[in-house]
Amino acid sequence: MTSPLVSIRDLEKRFDLSGNLLEQITFEGGRFRRKQEAVHAINGVNLEVHKGEALCVVGESGCGKSTVARTVMGLLSPSAGEIHYDGQRIDNLEGKAALPYRRKMQMIFQNPYASLNPRMTIQQTLEEPIRFHHPGWAATEVRDKIHEVMHSVGIDPDWGSRFGHEFSGGQRQRIAIARALAVDPEFIVADEPISALDVSIQAQVLNLLMDAQESRGLTYLFITHDLAVVEHFGTRVAVMYLGRVCELADTKTLFATPRHPYTQALLSAIPKLEDDRPNHIRLQGEVPTPVNLPSGCVFHGRCPYANDRCRQEIPQLIATDGGGQVACHAVEEGRL
Amino acid sequence: MALLEVKNLDVRFAVRGGDLTALRGISFTLDKGERLGLVGESGAGKSVAAFSILNLIAKPGYIAGGQILFEGRDLAAMSERELRKIRGNRIAMIFQDPMMTLNPVLTIGTQMVEAILAHRKISKKEARAIALDRLQKVQIPSPEKRLDQYPHELSGGMRQRVIIAIALLLDPEIIIADEPTTALDVTIQAEIMDLLLNLCEQENVALMLITHDLGVVSQVTQRMLVMYSGRIIEQGPTREIINDAQHPYTQGLINALPQMGEPGARLFQIPGSMPSLKNVPTGCPFHPRCSFATDHCKRAMPEYVRSGNVDVACYEVANLIEQEKRMQEAES
Repeated sequence: MTSPLVSIRDLEKRFDLSGNLLEQITFEGGRFRRKQEAVHAINGVNLEVHKGEALCVVGESGCGKSTVARTVMGLLSPSAGEIHYDGQRIDNLEGKAALPYRRKMQMIFQNPYASLNPRMTIQQTLEEPIRFHHPGWAATEVRDKIHEVMHSVGIDPDWGSRFGHEFSGGQRQRIAIARALAVDPEFIVADEPISALDVSIQAQVLNLLMDAQESRGLTYLFITHDLAVVEHFGTRVAVMYLGRVCELADTKTLFATPRHPYTQALLSAIPKLEDDRPNHIRLQGEVPTPVNLPSGCVFHGRCPYANDRCRQEIPQLIATDGGGQVACHAVEEGRL
Repeated sequence: MALLEVKNLDVRFAVRGGDLTALRGISFTLDKGERLGLVGESGAGKSVAAFSILNLIAKPGYIAGGQILFEGRDLAAMSERELRKIRGNRIAMIFQDPMMTLNPVLTIGTQMVEAILAHRKISKKEARAIALDRLQKVQIPSPEKRLDQYPHELSGGMRQRVIIAIALLLDPEIIIADEPTTALDVTIQAEIMDLLLNLCEQENVALMLITHDLGVVSQVTQRMLVMYSGRIIEQGPTREIINDAQHPYTQGLINALPQMGEPGARLFQIPGSMPSLKNVPTGCPFHPRCSFATDHCKRAMPEYVRSGNVDVACYEVANLIEQEKRMQEAES
């Protein structure tokens, strides 16, 4: 197999909650104590994104999927672990050294109402990244490039002098995609790019992303909570729960034979058109807080198959028959 | 007689430069214990329709015409004082965001007791007992404890359970739920919808469910309305519409879902987007996006025609039905 385009190795990210030293000191039981608290957003994630594929990361809110996206892009620095792009470690690069990777890796955000600067025209929005990454380009070259990307996302190039608020949500997301495509990236991280859009518009934007993938040979890291979209769009799927990957498999394999109990519950919860009644697997309780992580398997509190080993030992990803990977003691022991 | 009958409802918003028509000629009925889905994309007017039933549309919106008959009495013509006896009491509402609906500075118990005492002359103690009973019904863990907790101490799913408990406090005839699970995760959404469905069945409460999720409508409701640009374009039994939609917009909406397409293939897409209320196209509002549109569609809004048990407002469908009739006549 060829080497991966992006590889995420043992990634961890904590967000400190306790503030400075003075704020950490509490008075308890007659003595002063230093108390530190952190949100454990990602706890040891290993992922590889291969060239030309769309790797989807799914999970519910708070599972760390967006943090993975932001850390890969360098918007957040990892607490531990490494990010490699095309064989080169990039999470420790700064300034000029990081610049070429900034061009090759672009991001599309969830809310196109927030990701476009309201005081810039569309022309300016699209011009900025091109001028930054290609300072030597002549004005005509820049203009041609803008025309090309606007055309490819289905926005009339004559609308360049308009502002973001003059467009509908779907059009704004197209413009955000155009901005990402303007610098000819190889790798795009899309963080819930269609969640804020209406159903008929979602289809338009998904088609656009698939067309761009085909014509430009893009590689996607696609973050979403919508499993129906994943089934349609993804090459492989990683299911995350509380900052860990609990299952990783080809899209077809994952949807046909989900192994991890959480994946099974998640898949059963999608409302389907042919259903006459909700028929989901019932989970106990709710997602625990990422501040005090449960010991052992993070899912054990809600898992119907949990035993003592699950409560103590953290399951590692093991290979399954279908070519996927799953982190579950029950699957390993053949109980499931 | 239907429990709720909406007849030719028009709702307008008085803004500078003239009125905007948000709802045009909306008519539907809701029977006792029936579950009705209202489907459409943002801007279709589904929330306005729900809010106008209890006359909750804020100014500059107003009901410009039509009737809303609840047990034979017209809610649209009722005084505010009379309407308050019905709101929350006979007809309850559940909103999208549970954090916006609950008062952050009052405990859950205080808010529930307040709602009961606004309509019933009973003691606080009795009211608290009712509140506890409803919290048990929505299967909240340790309900006694919840009564003394503040909304921020509960998770999103738990808050929406509290909202459902509040809606059930006074044994309403109808619950209007406006996107009750949109702000929640899939697994929590499934649990909340399941709960709402079971409670409505147990208590024989009618449910009007507003949503953009066709999967949810299919799971929960018996009949559905599809709205587009302030009009109902298709209404009938949910199963019939989902399996064999008649209106080109409904067909498009269903076919645009990723689960309908071959994995990896292009999705069916409806070109363009919903028109804004400021410039609604003449005739059928869907004609600029419709692949079957003719000159006729641009001129006048189509009347409803019946196909099976479904009412559809579309010239193309009307033509097809005509043709079929003629074929059958020719055969016999």
